[in-house]
Amino acid sequence: MTVAPPSSTGRELSDPPTDGVSNIRFSNHSDHLLVSSWDKSVRLYDASADVLRGKFMHGGAVLDCCFHDDSSGFTASLDHTVRRLVFNYNKEDILGRHDAPVRCIEYSYITGQVITGSWDKTLKCWDPRGASGQERSLIGTYTQPERVYSMSLVGNRLVVATAGRHVNVYDLRNLSQPEQRRESSLKYQTRCVRCYPNGTGYALSSVEGRVAMEFFDLSEAGQSKKYAFKCHRKTEAGKDIVYPVNAIAFHPIYGTFATGGCDGYVNVWDGDNKKRLYQYPKYPTSIAALSFSRDGRLLAIASSYTYEDGDKPHALDAIFVRSVNEVEVKPKPKVLPNPAV
Amino acid sequence: MPSQMETTCGSLLNELQIIWDEVGESDAERDRMLLELEQECMEVYRRKVDQANKCRAQLRQAIADAEAELAAICSAMGERPVHIRQSDQSTGSLKAELRAILPEIEEMRKRKKLEELHRELQALQKEKSERLKQVLEHLNYLYSCCSVLGLDFKQTVCGIHPSLGESEGSKSISNDTIEQLGTAIQKLREVKVQRMQQLQDLATSLLELWNLMDTPIEEQQTFQKVTCNIASSEEEITEPGMLSADFIDYVKAEVSRLEELKASKMKELVLKKKTELEDICRKTHLIPESDSAIDLAVDAVESGAVDASFVLEQIELQISRVKEEALGRKEILEKVEKWMTACQEESWLEEYNRDDNRYNAGRGAHLTLKRAEKARALVNKLPAMVDTLTSKTTAWEKEKGVDFTYDGVSVTPLTRGNAFDAFLCLPILKFTSGFCLLCAYVGPEETQEQLLTEQEALYGSKPSPMKNQSAKKGRRLSCGGGPSNRRLSLGGPMLQTPKADMMPPLAKATPNTRNAKKLNVHNVKLTKAALGRRGLDLAGLPINQHSFNLQNAREIESPIIRKPFSPISSTDSSKSSATNILEALNRKHNEMLPKTITSDSTPFSTPSKTVPIADVENRTPQAMAIIPSTPSTISIPMQMAITPAPAQMPITPAPIQKALIPAPTALKSVDEEIEYSFEEKRAGFVLPRSHPINVMQI
Repeated sequence: MTVAPPSSTGRELSDPPTDGVSNIRFSNHSDHLLVSSWDKSVRLYDASADVLRGKFMHGGAVLDCCFHDDSSGFTASLDHTVRRLVFNYNKEDILGRHDAPVRCIEYSYITGQVITGSWDKTLKCWDPRGASGQERSLIGTYTQPERVYSMSLVGNRLVVATAGRHVNVYDLRNLSQPEQRRESSLKYQTRCVRCYPNGTGYALSSVEGRVAMEFFDLSEAGQSKKYAFKCHRKTEAGKDIVYPVNAIAFHPIYGTFATGGCDGYVNVWDGDNKKRLYQYPKYPTSIAALSFSRDGRLLAIASSYTYEDGDKPHALDAIFVRSVNEVEVKPKPKVLPNPAV
Repeated sequence: MPSQMETTCGSLLNELQIIWDEVGESDAERDRMLLELEQECMEVYRRKVDQANKCRAQLRQAIADAEAELAAICSAMGERPVHIRQSDQSTGSLKAELRAILPEIEEMRKRKKLEELHRELQALQKEKSERLKQVLEHLNYLYSCCSVLGLDFKQTVCGIHPSLGESEGSKSISNDTIEQLGTAIQKLREVKVQRMQQLQDLATSLLELWNLMDTPIEEQQTFQKVTCNIASSEEEITEPGMLSADFIDYVKAEVSRLEELKASKMKELVLKKKTELEDICRKTHLIPESDSAIDLAVDAVESGAVDASFVLEQIELQISRVKEEALGRKEILEKVEKWMTACQEESWLEEYNRDDNRYNAGRGAHLTLKRAEKARALVNKLPAMVDTLTSKTTAWEKEKGVDFTYDGVSVTPLTRGNAFDAFLCLPILKFTSGFCLLCAYVGPEETQEQLLTEQEALYGSKPSPMKNQSAKKGRRLSCGGGPSNRRLSLGGPMLQTPKADMMPPLAKATPNTRNAKKLNVHNVKLTKAALGRRGLDLAGLPINQHSFNLQNAREIESPIIRKPFSPISSTDSSKSSATNILEALNRKHNEMLPKTITSDSTPFSTPSKTVPIADVENRTPQAMAIIPSTPSTISIPMQMAITPAPAQMPITPAPIQKALIPAPTALKSVDEEIEYSFEEKRAGFVLPRSHPINVMQI
């Protein structure tokens, strides 16, 4: 006579990766979810139906993945390769190689190019339409000050965050020179960088429980808007414990964003009003990656140990898909102080 | 029979011919009578045939009707009419046919009736199961409702119908029961929604209070299930007992506990603010306009008559007003203090000059010599100082339209006429009056001690900040700010009219001022006397330093009002002010950092306790336009920090960060050691610069 309680963490996808999840991404066209993992696999799920649609095995751990269209995608692998996957035919080919593991990959719908960032301190740009073989598909190689740790695209802008807290902002139409060379506003190693959906700036998170909100506009007025805030921390016995912020995902409609940290929490923030909108119940282990679906109705959460404390026993890797309630992500304008006492 | 009939007819005809013969009837007559007989016979036959014919037709009709009825019944029952075939085969008479068909019809009629009853039964059975289903659904809902609301399910349903509470046996499914169930559900749903709203309101309060007071996670954990339901809809709340009256009372109790805690913290804060105001007044030598008002307000807060946040706000306004005023007085105040130091040096020099042994080369004589040298230079500057001071004061007074007062003493009457003399007498005046009053009102040593104890009990024996300001020691010695204050503080009855009390000694002192030297000697002696009572002096200081004027405070909208207290929620001002209790507490905590105390710019309440170092990083100097408006919803202000310019920022070792930050040592000395991300470490990736590439394939 009792009704099952609604799941507080969201629906867990069946058949998850068997090792750390490196990234998850929703398609721009459907509720398909691409998942890359340290178990050398790339999995394609139909997230709303909880069906594993396809699985590709690579030679090494897969550090990042992205969609091309609904029928194909790209991956960045520890074995230095950049691959293209064609889901329907279960076919894959190598787009090219870096000199070191490839950490991140992005596909630009505007230029039709694939951009990869590697620990070999370079950025490479690929034309996926070219025939297989590096000499055909490689468009250019662009040296970075340090190993690339995170990248994000919005419109024609590409933000590249590297080791040593460097941040380079590029215009995709001219990758030969960074448009802006910046240093992270945060004191500690960069974990994740994600551009605002409105294209005016980017959020950058560090290993020290902090997120910086940055703006592209270099004018004084533009820069005065930037700020940083603390998150993913807790106080225990008078000590502050600070957790790395592994993931940032912007809501495609509202421009609010979710952050995920090694504390296993996912927080939703309203950057304009500087408020935390929501905190989801704690997940079993670190939040490794986050992705909103194209309409923002679903939020995929990878609860997967990110090896911040080295090899140690940890909860099983899992991917949760939450139905997002509007109140969780809708900006809350600040309440104007009432002048009357 | 016919033969008999023919016989009868023949004999009758013979009898007729015998009669006719006997009568002698003519042949014609006989023929006519025979024809008549024949016609009558024909008539009788025809009638009988017609009758028989009619009877046959009726029979056929009956059969046809029966067949039709049978066919109708059969077709209604969807059966093939079997009798038709039978009748085709049979060659029996019509009557036999009718006899055969009648029982068949009877049979079919019965079957039809049976079938109808069957159908009715089925319909009733169906309705029963539907009703049962509905009842069970209702009961299910009622059950979950009851369990969520903490009500006795059995008791609830037995009230509707006793059979409903039984786990076995048939349940009442009457219209009335179903209707009552519906009503009960409606009622419970209303209760549930109402309680849910109540719980969600409580949850909102909880979140706000937690946020305000930085309640530890462990403490919050107990109520996590309350707060996680804050945005749930009615159907989503299914946990048994979640909306029970007991549970709601329990949460209510927690909210009121936290609110009490908040109130006590607010009170603490009010007292702290009060002290701050007193400190500022003392430092800037302002006399508060009304001393008792603030005490009254504090009393009111303690008794709960007045909202602490309101009082807090007023004190805040007062502080900002005093600060603003102090800003305007700063220049003159500095000049007064310089001048007083000069006066003190002058008197010292006087005594020094009278010391015949001053040139004896004792220990530290060279220092004394140097001091004398400096003092002489300073004394030479005295007239100029007085001139500047006079003009500045006059200008200030002209601009502001009020007298410039120093510890409540108006400077104006002194500056008129012989400015130099007037000013010279000021410290003396103070000492004289201070001393006299001390004698008059404090009296014997015991009384002083008693007072001291009382003061300590009231305000604590916290040493005044002046103790630390060694640079101002001279001033304190010479002008006796302390005794003057003591006068105000101890001379209770005089509090209202400090100026009036000042006047008589002033009048006496003025004529003497011409003999400045004499007076200065006197001054020195008094200084010593004052020094001896320093303890009392310190203890007495705080009491008179606060000014608390609600009326004025309300009117002033100073731009330098401390930011954290300005956000006042449109919904509840007490809550909004309280948002910053924590911050104020933090500040108290940080009092050791001199800059931190006055950092009025930390605009964000920090939900987690911030350690000073982190604070420094997060400080926003221009007070960010964003002020944490009190969350009227559950959203929580970010722990904000203006983006620190990394170039100017020293890399602080982070003692607060536990091991979770990868290799803190590496962070500290970025230059020496190469940093690696978690992924690089996991992959065993090593930069080729220092080592050959070594990527472990996992």
